[in-house]
Amino acid sequence: MSDVIRRDPRAEWIARNRLHPLHGTIAVGDDAEVRGPSGLLRKNPHKVGFIGPNGIKRIDRLKGNGAASGMGRRSSGPQEVQLPLHSVENPDFYIVVVPDLVGGRLTSQDKDILGQAHKMAKDIEGKGAVVAVCFGESKEENYDTAGVDRLIHLEGEEYEGFSPEQRLAALVQVETSLQPKHWLFPDSVNGGTDLGSRLAARLGERPAVQAWQVTHETTVSRGASQSLDITRETPRILMLLEECADAIDETRHEVKAIELDSVPRAIVQLQDQGQVAVDPNAIPLAEAEFILSAGNGIHNWDQFHETAAALGATEGASRVAVDDGFMPRFRQVGATGTWVTARVYLAVGISGAIQHMQGIGQCDKVVAINTDAGCDMVKRAALSAIGDSEEILGELLKLAQEHRANKGEEGEQNAA
Amino acid sequence: MVLDWLPSVLIAVALSLAVIGAVRRVSLWRAGQPDKVDLIAGLMAMPKRYLHDLHDVVERDKYMSKTHAATGGGFVLSVVLILAVHLFGVDNQILAWALLAALVLMFVGALFVFKRRMDPPSRISKGPWMRLPKSLLAFSSAFIILTLPVAGILPEGTGGWVLTIILSVVIAMGLAEMMFGMTWGGPMKHAFAGALHLAFHRRQERFGGGRSTGLKPVDLTANDGKPEILGVSKPKDFKWNQLLGFDACVQCGRCEAMCPAFAAGQPLNPKKLIQDMVVGLAGGTDAKYAGSPYPGKEVGYAKGGPDQIITQGLVDPETLWSCTTCRACVEECPMMIEHVDAIVDMRRFLTMEKGSTPNKGAEVLDNIIATDNPNGYAPANRANWAADQNLPLMRDVKKADVLFWVSDGAFDMRSQRILRSFVKLMKAAHVDVAILGDEELDSGDVARRLGDDAAFQSLAKRNLEILSQYEFKTIVTTDPHAYHCLRNEYGDFGSDALDGVEVLHHTTYLNRLVQAGSLNLEPFKGGTVTYHDPCYLGRYNGEYEAPRELLRSLGIEIAEMERSGFRSRCCGGGGGAPITDIPGERRIADMRMEDVNTTGAELVAVGCQQCTAMLEGVVEPRPEVKDIAEILADQLIEEVH
Amino acid sequence: MQPNIKQSLDIVSLVSIGQHPQSGRVRRAEQDGRAVELGMNLGGDNLTVLHAGDPQEQALRTYAGMGLSSMQVLNLDTQDDAVPALADYLQQLRPDIVLTGVRAESGESSGMVPYLLAEKLNWPVVARIADIVSVEDGVAEVMLALPRGQRRALKVALPFVASVDNAAPEARQSAYGPGIRAQIEPLAAVKEEDAVRSNWSEAKAKPRPKRLKVVKAKTAAERFKAATAKPQGEAGKVLKGVPAKEQAQEIFNLLLEEKVI
Ligand SMILES: Cc1cc2nc3c(=O)[nH]c(=O)nc-3n(C[C@H](O)[C@H](O)[C@H](O)COP(=O)(O)OP(=O)(O)OC[C@H]3O[C@@H](n4cnc5c(N)ncnc54)[C@H](O)[C@@H]3O)c2cc1C
Ligand code: SF4
Ligand code: SF4
Repeated sequence: MSDVIRRDPRAEWIARNRLHPLHGTIAVGDDAEVRGPSGLLRKNPHKVGFIGPNGIKRIDRLKGNGAASGMGRRSSGPQEVQLPLHSVENPDFYIVVVPDLVGGRLTSQDKDILGQAHKMAKDIEGKGAVVAVCFGESKEENYDTAGVDRLIHLEGEEYEGFSPEQRLAALVQVETSLQPKHWLFPDSVNGGTDLGSRLAARLGERPAVQAWQVTHETTVSRGASQSLDITRETPRILMLLEECADAIDETRHEVKAIELDSVPRAIVQLQDQGQVAVDPNAIPLAEAEFILSAGNGIHNWDQFHETAAALGATEGASRVAVDDGFMPRFRQVGATGTWVTARVYLAVGISGAIQHMQGIGQCDKVVAINTDAGCDMVKRAALSAIGDSEEILGELLKLAQEHRANKGEEGEQNAA
Repeated sequence: MVLDWLPSVLIAVALSLAVIGAVRRVSLWRAGQPDKVDLIAGLMAMPKRYLHDLHDVVERDKYMSKTHAATGGGFVLSVVLILAVHLFGVDNQILAWALLAALVLMFVGALFVFKRRMDPPSRISKGPWMRLPKSLLAFSSAFIILTLPVAGILPEGTGGWVLTIILSVVIAMGLAEMMFGMTWGGPMKHAFAGALHLAFHRRQERFGGGRSTGLKPVDLTANDGKPEILGVSKPKDFKWNQLLGFDACVQCGRCEAMCPAFAAGQPLNPKKLIQDMVVGLAGGTDAKYAGSPYPGKEVGYAKGGPDQIITQGLVDPETLWSCTTCRACVEECPMMIEHVDAIVDMRRFLTMEKGSTPNKGAEVLDNIIATDNPNGYAPANRANWAADQNLPLMRDVKKADVLFWVSDGAFDMRSQRILRSFVKLMKAAHVDVAILGDEELDSGDVARRLGDDAAFQSLAKRNLEILSQYEFKTIVTTDPHAYHCLRNEYGDFGSDALDGVEVLHHTTYLNRLVQAGSLNLEPFKGGTVTYHDPCYLGRYNGEYEAPRELLRSLGIEIAEMERSGFRSRCCGGGGGAPITDIPGERRIADMRMEDVNTTGAELVAVGCQQCTAMLEGVVEPRPEVKDIAEILADQLIEEVH
Repeated sequence: MQPNIKQSLDIVSLVSIGQHPQSGRVRRAEQDGRAVELGMNLGGDNLTVLHAGDPQEQALRTYAGMGLSSMQVLNLDTQDDAVPALADYLQQLRPDIVLTGVRAESGESSGMVPYLLAEKLNWPVVARIADIVSVEDGVAEVMLALPRGQRRALKVALPFVASVDNAAPEARQSAYGPGIRAQIEPLAAVKEEDAVRSNWSEAKAKPRPKRLKVVKAKTAAERFKAATAKPQGEAGKVLKGVPAKEQAQEIFNLLLEEKVI
């Protein structure tokens, strides 16, 4: 959508490579500020800013964050750019990537890892092709621009749902037929780590996990709960962290299908009973990823519960709401309640006392609804709506219900 | 007199039953653990302790103190004389007259007891205690009549045998209560156990105006470093003199009236707790208990025995975890019973043996063990708050006049305001001060009150080890909890790091600076100010004056709360109570804020970061809360160079 | 919730020495603690808590403090590989379920131990379980932890290896008394030096550079826009004096953007 912003991998690479001759002109962000020997913050004026398209240096005081503000505004019309095709005939070696494909689409981590694969392929002698092994239903349309030279797509009920054993059998088959130089997996809770570990154990390879700085020769990976950097020779199997490398964005790839010889059926010892429907309100507060939290500024409790249900949010509360008996104790967020890790924390009528803030320290995005624009919650929030909770929740409830209805229709259409 | 042998027989029988009872009762106490007390010296000192220490407390209730002096004094005197006159038959008119006088005194006292009992306040127990004034009256009146002939007022044999029989029944009743009941568990038990408790008290230092508030350490070295039991699980795990102490309770309920947890509707009533301990040491149920229950818990279902685990049936762990260790009960108890010791002893069992510290307790203890601070912050960041303060580190200077003990407020943004204010004042007064930086560890206060004495001792020893490397004359801290540990509890660990070192609270130290004219302050012009005494500064350490003097030095006239000084009501922040967070009907801090509001104050001055946090946790609108250091720093006239 | 166990179970919980993220001090590892907790809930007395390493390590006492009367320790030196020793021991013990953490808190943290053991024992392995709901006729019903508090049910025949996720019930408090009293039994173990590892170099983790958002503005208008727009990261956006409807819409957009609805 937003064709205005396009990342420049070269510039990014230069920015990261402190030895690059142009590094000083490009790096922005953290490097511009250095702690001097006395502990004072020092600014390096040469490191601030970037070169604009017309060659003039621009200082981006927003550290690049301003770009996102283009959201919601459509440009005058997309210009289709035809990217150059990168083709590999008769590759000398393969690098296999096994993406997570969450919901049938490549995740951003998958894309980073495809980028990583190309980075490694480039440095290894000979011509290498990057192979993606995808399981189950795929909705992904942009394998080409993501950097997939070859695609092995394995579908069928044996690969549906939770099927690590069958998938492993397929990977073993890939191993014998392609003899890949490297196996790259996303190190993720979406299955990548599990599959990678299974393959490593089966092949008797010692993998590098939580790898984040990888060349074809050396790998730096995290150990000891992220507190250690281990540097070693790059092994055959790697599980890579997010943002290990930049995704492909300037080339197109062939996405040639490779057909595997028939994959033997694995003996399935882990019988999938399916995903369990979890009521958002039954999710432990600490695990919930979207919390709608109520404080002393809520006066219509039925509406609050209804909104939470409509939004599919897990309910939280301030201590006052709990003390006053409107919410059960296990819903309390804060120093003496639960420390939550939600990505979005929507605080309604909560002033933001320090004990409450302690509990939401790890939340990504805080949204506040409050009558008092000066309260601490508003100061912490990425977005605040100043006004009466009942009114705003009412509108939010309507929106959520409309959204549900639309989605329902869409679903029906899809089914039709 | 017809049947004139009867009274003497009755007396003799009552007396021997009393002796048997006494032996039995003593054996119940002796089921407890040994504790070193000088028995003879204790007994010798007992009358003095009774007249001074105990009566100083009773004296707070003038009515009761006079009543008790008359009744109790009259009774003790009467008993001695009764033995002489009626049992051994010493025929002496003077003695008889003296006896009469004593009995009349007792009778008058008993009348007042009777009057008090007509409409008793809710804090005092009913049940057998309601019978006591009648028994007292019966005892004294019957012996008066019995003594009249001996004194020669009435002719011998007056009234004939009918009167004698009636008299004997009344005497039997009176004797049963006063003698038999004394050692067999009646209300009069308090006299017997109370007297011995005064003699063999576990904290002898408390007598003669002394103060002894530090908790006693658990012996972790017993049995080759593997003690068989940590803390108190069964009544017999208490020291024997603690058991004796419980038995001394008169169920006056003064502790109950002062207890913040009780008032907040949390399931704790210190009086009931002590009575449950009595049930435990003697075995049985609480069915006969006739006072206020633990809020929200019915009476009659608690069962226990000397060999039964207390928290399984006798006392709910929630009761123990509700306590803020504010010592208001101990301060108020006329029998000088040590509730807090008992509560922490039982908590030790729950934490160190059962691993059942409620709510955030386990997490906080894990953090303390792994990071030396309760919130699990990186220990290396402890001195970050002082990055811009230009404070020397002991590690660098090795020596300073004053060591500023920063405490865990170092990690908390609100508390850092207090720390900075204090540093500003110290600098203005040109004090040679240094901090330990990240070498300082949590004082162990919270760990100890939560029952983890192992964690406390480890912290204490490591802190002492660090302190012993440096030279300083004074330690000053803004945290009364750390102050208490350093001053009253670190002494048990055989280190000389604090020998000759004066440990002071910042208000004490600042007051000295102000009195010496080292700080140039301008008068305070804000509205009404009240002062909240932190428990660990006031009751634990007796510092009531310095903070007030400081406020007065700013021209502030303190609008005192009704409950202030030694009767100050806790903010709810002590003893790990905010961590275990046992639900009640109200918040202790809210009640304290109501106390503040009744003075009409716009600002409440405190001397503790924990009190600040608790009081600021009360929802607005409410008066402002500031530490005295902050108030002073705001009034500081800075020198212009 | 009490698991529904219809047979006697021999369970082994493997524990490692944890490391506190802030202080770096040794401790009970979070996930391993949960593995012991789960083992205690399932197996009661037939639980073996097993460690491969130094039997003198004090951090082991923090596991024992959960109420274990004893612990087994395969005596290894620091450079030894734990897997051969564990596999050898488990081969002989033949338990029904082996529970581990997902990743160790110290060392390589590769999370490979359950997989390697399973491979050697030829057992199935289940990663990231939140709970074992029932065991009946040699088949266990297991809950897998998925992201965002979601769960997947799975059936697996005994014996198997499972790694325990952070979503599993938290380990009970460790008490000092039982901890110091527990018997720690050192066992002789198969020793194989971890030779690969000796070639690695280890250093304190460097902060990872945050991905840059490179602005490639093509026109002056875009540059102006980029320069004047309120940055999202620092001070938040405050909607004041705006109709409630618009405020709600703005919030709703954010929720959509964050993909939480
Ligand atoms: C030791 C300790 C531990 C504590 N632990 C916790 C804890 O774990 N969790 C916790 O939450 N608190 C905790 N507290 C309490 C904390 O200090 C605060 O008192 C509490 O968080 C305040 O709750 P609140 O924000 O809901 O209420 P308030 O502070 O009363 O705030 C209500 C907010 O609602 C707004 N408002 C009012 N009416 C409306 C309306 N109609 N529409 C929109 N907004 C409105 C007001 O502007 C205000 O900002 C603790 C306190 C202490 C002392
Ligand atoms: S110390 Fe305070 S809270 Fe505890 S029982 Fe005594 S009065 Fe109550
Ligand atoms: S413990 Fe002390 S204050 Fe409380 S009721 Fe008994 S005697 Fe009275």
